[in-house]
Amino acid sequence: MLFPTLTFGIFFLIVFTVSWSMHWTPEPRKWFLVGASYFFYAWWDWRFTTLLFGTTLINYLGGLALDRAKRDATRKWIVGFVVVVDLGVLAFFKYYDFFLTSLDGVMRTLGLARDLPFMEVILPIGISFFTFQGISYVVDVYRGHVRAERSLLDVMLFKSFFPQLVAGPIVRAADFIPQLQAPVQLTRDHVSVGVVLILTGLAKKMVIANYLATEIVDPVFFDPSVVSALDLLIGIYAYAIQIYCDFSGYSDIAIGVAALLGYRFLANFDQPYRAASLQDFWRRWHISLSTWLRDYLYIPLGGNRGGEAQRYRNLFITMFLGGLWHGAAWTFIIWGSFHGAMLGLEQWLKRKLESVAPVSADAPGLLTRLGNGAQHVVGVVSTFHIVCFAWIFFRADSFSTAMDYLIGFGDWSSANAYVTPFVVGLVAVGLLFQFTPRQMGRELAINLRELPAPVLGLLLGLGIFVIWSVAPEGVAPFIYFQF
Amino acid sequence: MLDLIDPRADHAETLSVEEAWAMEIQTQAQITRFKGAMWIAVAVLLLFNSAALVTVVNGFGVGPVQDTIVVMADTWNTQMEKQGLSEPVRVIREGVLYLHDLDWSDVGLGDAPDQGAHNLRGSASDGSEG
Repeated sequence: MLFPTLTFGIFFLIVFTVSWSMHWTPEPRKWFLVGASYFFYAWWDWRFTTLLFGTTLINYLGGLALDRAKRDATRKWIVGFVVVVDLGVLAFFKYYDFFLTSLDGVMRTLGLARDLPFMEVILPIGISFFTFQGISYVVDVYRGHVRAERSLLDVMLFKSFFPQLVAGPIVRAADFIPQLQAPVQLTRDHVSVGVVLILTGLAKKMVIANYLATEIVDPVFFDPSVVSALDLLIGIYAYAIQIYCDFSGYSDIAIGVAALLGYRFLANFDQPYRAASLQDFWRRWHISLSTWLRDYLYIPLGGNRGGEAQRYRNLFITMFLGGLWHGAAWTFIIWGSFHGAMLGLEQWLKRKLESVAPVSADAPGLLTRLGNGAQHVVGVVSTFHIVCFAWIFFRADSFSTAMDYLIGFGDWSSANAYVTPFVVGLVAVGLLFQFTPRQMGRELAINLRELPAPVLGLLLGLGIFVIWSVAPEGVAPFIYFQF
Repeated sequence: MLDLIDPRADHAETLSVEEAWAMEIQTQAQITRFKGAMWIAVAVLLLFNSAALVTVVNGFGVGPVQDTIVVMADTWNTQMEKQGLSEPVRVIREGVLYLHDLDWSDVGLGDAPDQGAHNLRGSASDGSEG
């Protein structure tokens, strides 16, 4: 059940009406939301609802066991066991075939070919997201950041709540569970923020992302060896905008839908292509994943503690595993490793520059300010291009396709076929919105706050109507559903 | 923007009875307001986007209920077309198609749609190679 479909529209209409009619009785309302979320998940494949419930139960029992255990060694053993089970489930569904294919390749190269037990394992949608949510819950209980939840119902709703179930944002127990235990409320702000986010999310996904996918990105990545260098160049800019509009559009709709049901999620994107460094980019891109990786991987690995070499190693491992999280393919591993290596290089260069030209505590003069401005522009442009370079590996279906893409930049003699004013215009609009004032959406939401129901309804209806009319035919799945 | 959403309810124990009651009144009012807004949005879509409704119901399986829904959706769409309510979709789609089909010569940048790479490179080749 995709967000921008009539099916989801009907589903949401029912969920909104029924859940708010039950808001006097919190427990039945939560049961209803859990039921709706499992129904939403079952729409893809009902068999995996047992997997969702099974992993939720393990996390819930793990939390309770951690609460009861007094000895540190026992607590360590419990948290380790639950994390291994969570990761084991993820590894089986997501990486089993990839591991065996890679092993088969190595064994054939060594002349030791064997019949390996290949199984065509179906990837349950959203498994990477709800696994990470489950891990964060037990680790937070272990660390004492949240109390073990006594109510299985609250843990079930925390893990399965349908707006974020299949593609995030990765919600933390500390942010969400207290909301489940408080009286639920719907304010003018919930409504206006929800409407603004749903409309902007739909526009990003249905118009910009879908057009860019069909008009240039899919054709140039299908066989990069037969298209011109200009097509490849604009193609990768277009993919940068497509994946942003696709994923941030999904996040916007998810956050907006949650707001209309009375819950608050944290932001998942913050104009990432205006970042002036890779470190800044990762503070703005898929924030719920990058903060998850920081808190549950980078810091446990040692984080910034220890020497410089250890810090770079930790960064590299974190990004390498972040790449692997996205998918079972070497292209994702290369993407993550590249980001890890470049983050390390960036930090090293920054330290060297600071040692050569320390930052002055005095108020900067005009020349310094101009220099800082120019440095910022260079930082934004270079960061964007480094990120785009890495996107080639992320989008390519194989390493050889990515190499064909890169080799294609060497030949500027052939005629371009996909770079049209329409495509360039969409890319320009997508980039322009990276540099608009941060408070634009907020101001828009404030202006909607006092609108009477008929005007708000007209705005919502006409907004969806215009987006629907402008968008290309059909609804493509969201990119992050595959992860 | 998300800072607009009031997190006070997470700490309901700190609210006075009056504040809690005001919160409840506000919630009731907003439920009614947004329900009304949703039904108006549905009406707008049914009026102006009836063709999309036909597309959706045509995907239903075969059966007496489904067949009735298909006939009703078809009739509704025909009536909306007769009233001229399908015009806005046509006008918007024509506008998008016009933008979609523009080539570089239409926007005053180059003579033909396939010259971009050559302009960038500064090549004198005719664009038919490669």
